[in-house]
Amino acid sequence: MSPSLSSLVFYAFSAMLVVTAVGVVTLRNVFYSAVSLVAALTIVAGLFVLLGADFLGAAQVLVYVGGILIIMLFVIMLSQQPRDLLQRQTNDQWIAGLFFALTIGVSLVRAFTYFVSQTPPDGDIAPTSASLGRLLLGEMLLPFEAVSLILLAALVGAVVFGQEKNA
Amino acid sequence: MFELGPALHHAFELLRGFAVSHGMSRDAALLLSKIIQANILVLGVAVIPMVLVYAERKVSAFMQARLGPMHVGPWGILQTFADGVKLMLKEDVVPAGADKWVHFLAPVVAVAPVFVCFAPVPFGQGLTPVDLDTGVLFIFAVSGVSTIGILLGGWGSGNKFSMLGGLRAAAQLLSYEIPRVLSVIPVLMWYGSMSLGTIALAQHGRWLGILPKWFIFYPVIGQIAFLIFLISSVAETNRTPFDIPEAESELVAGFHTEFSGLKFALFFLAEYAYVFLASAMGTALFLGGGDGFLLPNGILPSWIWFLLKTFALVFLFLWFRWTYPRLRIDRLMQFCWKFLMPWSFVNIALTGLLVLVRQR
Amino acid sequence: MTLYHCIALSGIVFSIGIYGVLTRRNILGILMSIELMFNAANIALVAFNHYLHPGSLWGQGFVLFVIAVAAAEAVVGLSLVLAIYRNIKSVYTENMNLLHG
Repeated sequence: MSPSLSSLVFYAFSAMLVVTAVGVVTLRNVFYSAVSLVAALTIVAGLFVLLGADFLGAAQVLVYVGGILIIMLFVIMLSQQPRDLLQRQTNDQWIAGLFFALTIGVSLVRAFTYFVSQTPPDGDIAPTSASLGRLLLGEMLLPFEAVSLILLAALVGAVVFGQEKNA
Repeated sequence: MFELGPALHHAFELLRGFAVSHGMSRDAALLLSKIIQANILVLGVAVIPMVLVYAERKVSAFMQARLGPMHVGPWGILQTFADGVKLMLKEDVVPAGADKWVHFLAPVVAVAPVFVCFAPVPFGQGLTPVDLDTGVLFIFAVSGVSTIGILLGGWGSGNKFSMLGGLRAAAQLLSYEIPRVLSVIPVLMWYGSMSLGTIALAQHGRWLGILPKWFIFYPVIGQIAFLIFLISSVAETNRTPFDIPEAESELVAGFHTEFSGLKFALFFLAEYAYVFLASAMGTALFLGGGDGFLLPNGILPSWIWFLLKTFALVFLFLWFRWTYPRLRIDRLMQFCWKFLMPWSFVNIALTGLLVLVRQR
Repeated sequence: MTLYHCIALSGIVFSIGIYGVLTRRNILGILMSIELMFNAANIALVAFNHYLHPGSLWGQGFVLFVIAVAAAEAVVGLSLVLAIYRNIKSVYTENMNLLHG
């Protein structure tokens, strides 16, 4: 892809990501904000592919969109009541929260000007899956095993919390 | 012997040359030819379900000693076309209690991923639309998005049966996705690649000059993997005996009860396109893709072989539907978590051992 | 499209996530905002990997761990939400005050 085309795609993705992210935090209906989150995370997967991480893009869609968000929609369908739509969805401190978030956002963006001169590296984007696999089972083996333990613990924990008699 | 791939390749070369000689830039010509290729693929994916619906009606009819559709066209060949026209002309009913936007979005989200999913499928020699390095993972990831469309359909209809269908669909599709992915891992381990084209090519060849080197013929690991893949694919495409989400005798029609006209047609299109996609994946991963057998080499081109094997698997799907009764929801989940999952893990371990032995 | 643009995008999405966590009453909304913040961090990691160390893959490996931990967090969080909902029939954080005394 030529540089101008990829920056065009990047700006389109960025605009859509910001719009859908704002939708996630501001929409009144939680189901709508979950659908907005689906769009946002799919766009993030697109950004990953644009930044040369093809495996991560597929993994993002597989785990987030195809997994986590479906569970989230599932829980929303189980727990939402019709009167939720009539209630306020933000708490009393939303002005303070907005101020705080703005402060953090502005200072982050200002701080990042340090990197303003970095341009994209030359050369084509190569497939990453094989080398990523070698890295995960080589140098990163210990964290990899630790994460599998965390996932097992989360699985057991979810089963324990989900049992009817403990509730 | 007529290979479609090189011919198409040549045709697009000619087209690009024509465009460039008439003052188009090289990049634009390349983009144009890619757009035309994508359109051909989308058109093909949209036509396949019509063939499959006709096949389903005929196969079911013959299994029940009926004739099936006979009136529109010779042997009723044009029946699905007539049905399609009817569905397009029908009124689009949105129930009063429905969530208008979600009701509109559901069929779109359910059908859009299907077209993307066919991109890495190797339809024959030189006929892979996009040979992705992460092909298998890509198909699993993108086809998982359709589940969200089903959930939206269940929620947006404002109907308790649809809602139940959507909840069941979420539970079932999420669970069966796991053994489906796990069953393919032995194939990826053995061939050391996630590109469907590479895997299909690696299966060409014969043992002792007779038995094809397809993955399904590898002792034990091939058969276990193929069976698990087949069963969980049937569950992923919501077909009987695993059609709990739409079970018409208990949930009316589950998530698509409240959809009519074109929206219903889109759900239908997605389901049949996924049946074809699962069969095509099975062909590329386990049945050697475009590799021929029995007949001497070169009598039939590779894309005909690919389509023949794919339609044989599609027939298996239809056969299941008209043979087995529907499972109960708790048995369905138990079957997935307590039977398919452990066996696919055993299969992965076995394959690991075999890969080690091969390396010695 | 320089590194600055990618990181700035990540910072913006991160602060949107912070706003959601601070202001949402619905606990599911808070969980979703947290996912947004995770993803902002992931964009930053992948961008740094792509621009500053094109030869290595450590940033991408780290993103995989973040995705795995996010999955664990979401599963435990959502099952807790369901357990709480069964007890108090509400998903709003100000009603979750059983230990309030």
